[in-house]
Amino acid sequence: MNIEEIKKKVVDSQIWRSMFRGGVWHNTPRDRAQHIIGNVWLHLHPAKLRKRAVDWTYTWGLGGLSFGLFFVLTVSGILLMFYYRPTVDLAYQDIKDLQFVVTTGQFWRNFHRWAAQLMVLIVIFHMIRVFLTGSYKSPREFNWVVGVILLLLTLLLSFSGYLLPWDQIAIWAITVGSNMASSTPVLGAEGPFTIMNLKNDARFMLLGGTYVGEAALLRFYVLHCIAFPFFAGVFMIVHFWRIRKDGFSAAPMDLKDKNEDKVDVWPNLVVREYMMAILVTAGLIALSIWVQAPLEEIADLNVTPNPAKAPWYFLGLQELLVYFDPWIAGVLLPNIIVVGLMAIPYVDDNPAGVGFYSIKERPFANTFFIFGCVVWFVLIAIGTYFRGPNWGWYWPWEDWLLHKPPPLPTWSIPNLIGLLLMGAYFGGGIVVPRIIKSEIPFKKALWGGLGAITLAAVAFKFVGSGLIEKWSGFPMEWGQVIWIIFSLGLYYILGILVPQKYIRTIAWPRYAISMVFLLMTIGVFLKIGLRLGFNVKYIFSLNQFGFNI
Amino acid sequence: MDEINPSQPVNPTPPAQPIPAVPAPIPTPLAQPIKRRDFLWTAWGAFAAFLGASAGAMGKFMLPNVLYEQSQIFKAGKPEDFPLGVSTKLTKDHRVWMVRTEKTLYAFWARCTHLGCTPNWFDAENRFKCPCHGSNFSIQGDVIAGPAPKPLNRCAIALLPTGEILVDKSILETRPGFREKKQFQIELA
Repeated sequence: MNIEEIKKKVVDSQIWRSMFRGGVWHNTPRDRAQHIIGNVWLHLHPAKLRKRAVDWTYTWGLGGLSFGLFFVLTVSGILLMFYYRPTVDLAYQDIKDLQFVVTTGQFWRNFHRWAAQLMVLIVIFHMIRVFLTGSYKSPREFNWVVGVILLLLTLLLSFSGYLLPWDQIAIWAITVGSNMASSTPVLGAEGPFTIMNLKNDARFMLLGGTYVGEAALLRFYVLHCIAFPFFAGVFMIVHFWRIRKDGFSAAPMDLKDKNEDKVDVWPNLVVREYMMAILVTAGLIALSIWVQAPLEEIADLNVTPNPAKAPWYFLGLQELLVYFDPWIAGVLLPNIIVVGLMAIPYVDDNPAGVGFYSIKERPFANTFFIFGCVVWFVLIAIGTYFRGPNWGWYWPWEDWLLHKPPPLPTWSIPNLIGLLLMGAYFGGGIVVPRIIKSEIPFKKALWGGLGAITLAAVAFKFVGSGLIEKWSGFPMEWGQVIWIIFSLGLYYILGILVPQKYIRTIAWPRYAISMVFLLMTIGVFLKIGLRLGFNVKYIFSLNQFGFNI
Repeated sequence: MDEINPSQPVNPTPPAQPIPAVPAPIPTPLAQPIKRRDFLWTAWGAFAAFLGASAGAMGKFMLPNVLYEQSQIFKAGKPEDFPLGVSTKLTKDHRVWMVRTEKTLYAFWARCTHLGCTPNWFDAENRFKCPCHGSNFSIQGDVIAGPAPKPLNRCAIALLPTGEILVDKSILETRPGFREKKQFQIELA
């Protein structure tokens, strides 16, 4: 018997036929459709898609990659679980065993670590892609919300896994992270208006103790290996089901070409998916062979490494913690970001720009979103590359042994003035763009406004510096004048001119919500400027309640 | 129009039952018929209450009643063991700094009031610096720089009849004026 005959015998056998239905493959359109519909794994796809929807440069395969990474993380995670025991005495030792004793143990640990970091990155890119192509618009609003929940679960999975190696960076990242729970208003022992103590507040519930110890390690292990993957699975099912029902990465119908060709998903899309999966897996394998996952000394609660840096995707948050009290930076802002992301599809009622990248059809939405992403990644870059011992500012080329002078003392703006400033900031930003009903010449207003701001700032240098010196003890310098020009300019352009031009006519509730989120985003940036440029600690402060802004 | 308006919802519950012509022999309050709608409201309400209570019970389940943690109270040696200035020799075992001034001795919990990292003492600069977000504290525990919202915590401290120091980390005080009370510092003769 030759190979062909054996193949025929196998394929025609009852066993094979019972496993793979469908009969002899003729490569007809019917066969190709049947291949998708008749397969439990592939029938998540439709049988045919518009040609534009399968372009590489449309989706970049990011959603599929996110799931692919979740899958390989599950596999490598299960492998690691065979050797890992989540107790304070054994955990670190087991990681060492994986690295030095277990065959390919080091490889699987590296693979799990790098795949996890890549997944965070890919999920974020997926979100950015979906935003920029307007793919969250009706009827797909709710699937965007599910996507935000999945992003959150991805971050939680990564965060909970961070503790398990039980080395110094693990325990300190989780200590800082869980202490943020403690600064929750009312429910955290150290938050504003608290009604709790250290032994019943939100952090205690998370850790099962008053510090990151045995109970916390076990809890994070269970959350990481069972609870979070379970919830991620549940929401992924909803996410995928709705993607399928809403026509996949739907490129909506082209009104100019209503008879636009559709292509068979098999092989056009499925092959692309396989290609992406293979490329990324190969890259990950190479990375895991050449780059070792870091492991520091064993955890020690009494010695904090200097500097103690969170994983890179939380370094933006950690950098924010320098400028705001923990209840704002660690609780309020993350919640606002999540709620704000979820609100996007319900606030943005501009029907244009679905299915392609366009700044022209969605000028306000895309400008705002890109600005937010840039701020976020700038903060991450600062935390990663510009922070050294004692969280001092070190340029990337500077040696960390270099001695830095201690930071200047901070001062707070008097409450009344701070309140007026914030009122003017939010009130002006919300009211002004709306009450100017007519179109104003954008370029003229831009340069005129910036000129006026510059003049005012320079004038303030000569008139107001006495006031600043009285409060802060320091005279005003030219660097600070530049800070003022930059901050006010940003507020003027992004907070007033752009919304005036593009969204002044939308309905009141939508307008107000958009503006509040926009002004808060810019406001975070301005508060950073106040701290770095002027050493301002608080704009408004009720110290006895722990309520400081 | 004579037609029945189809958009008019049909009331699923008939109007109150007409009282039967034959009077009931002994009318009791229990004999009042319960409406189907009321019954369903009660049932769903009970179910919701059950779910709420279960969630609460699960929440309480997550709060352990017994902690297997290090004791918060420990003996710290004698006052003579600590020279003038900040001593970091108890940091490793108890996470406490002992500070001795000319006339007093007090103990800091070595935990930054910002997000709980352990600051380091710098003798030359005469200040504590936190490695996590750069908070600086004076030797009195007051915030000099950085994001910390409150001064360092001082622990309750007492001199035992044996001459030893007893430190209790479960009783803490940050406020000036209160932290100088007898409970939080030992007056040295």
